[in-house]
Amino acid sequence: MSAGATDGAVGVKLVSHFATVEQQKRAAVLGMWAWLLTELLLFAGLFLTALILRLLHPEAIQEAARHLKFWIGAVNTVVLIGSSLTMSGAIQLSRLGWQRGMVRFMLATAALGTLFLLLKGYEYYADYQEHMMPFLSDRPYELKDSPPSRLFVNLYYVATSLHGLHLLTGITILLVMTWQAGRPGFLSRHQNRIEIFGLYWHFIDLIWILAFPTLYVLNR
Amino acid sequence: MFGTSDERRILWQHMREPVLTAFALLVMLGINVALGATLPFPHVWVVELLVAAVMVATILLFSMEVRHEPPLVKLFAGIGFFWVGILFTMTLVDYLSRA
Repeated sequence: MSAGATDGAVGVKLVSHFATVEQQKRAAVLGMWAWLLTELLLFAGLFLTALILRLLHPEAIQEAARHLKFWIGAVNTVVLIGSSLTMSGAIQLSRLGWQRGMVRFMLATAALGTLFLLLKGYEYYADYQEHMMPFLSDRPYELKDSPPSRLFVNLYYVATSLHGLHLLTGITILLVMTWQAGRPGFLSRHQNRIEIFGLYWHFIDLIWILAFPTLYVLNR
Repeated sequence: MFGTSDERRILWQHMREPVLTAFALLVMLGINVALGATLPFPHVWVVELLVAAVMVATILLFSMEVRHEPPLVKLFAGIGFFWVGILFTMTLVDYLSRA
């Protein structure tokens, strides 16, 4: 079976407020980068706070970090790197006009993103079992005599759940786009949507590449 | 899925760079995981941060293809990360230089 059973023209439909397709494509890329950089600043503030906590209270943060599931974090990084590869595959096939293969790569990307969230959910469950959720008033915190560790663990949940929310949003958009992309003629009108979404997906990967060392590795 | 040899050849031509990028990222992740698991020397965090920085640069340049973008997008992306660099440097210089 051909990878591109619905092969056809690849392109972008010009909308009225742009002079040329090239201008439209470049504006979309620049707009996505503008948004991604605001996201970068948001996460950078969280990671910087984690580093400062580590500098100010090394023993307390190391003690808290020992409760983090280092190996789940490492496996999740592998999963996200794999999802970036499949997303790159979808982009490459969209450029070739191989619609069916592109859709399969998009589904694989969504599946890997979902696997990441499932592993993260298991990690949170294990933390719950170990009484490592200081924000729960009805469940005594394991390190209750260490206020700085409470700050770090709360920060860990803010940063990872915010990242998880971005990933969940990404999976939802990806599934909707996959549904749209399976229709005949999608690539002849909207090929650049795959490219623009790819930027977002790779950026989620990039944020986790920063989160993993900042939260899990440096504090051991 | 990719039946003919021509299709497989074309696919590999286009997937070679993403596959190599993913492989490079996995190798660098392996280095960071090994360093984190074994803590072989006192200031290992410096190496871990450097490896993470190279991983970020790899994603930017190869996965996000910034190197193929027009100068305006390159400038935009570069300034964003440069700004974060200023934020980290100035803040950490303050905390690291306190008595």
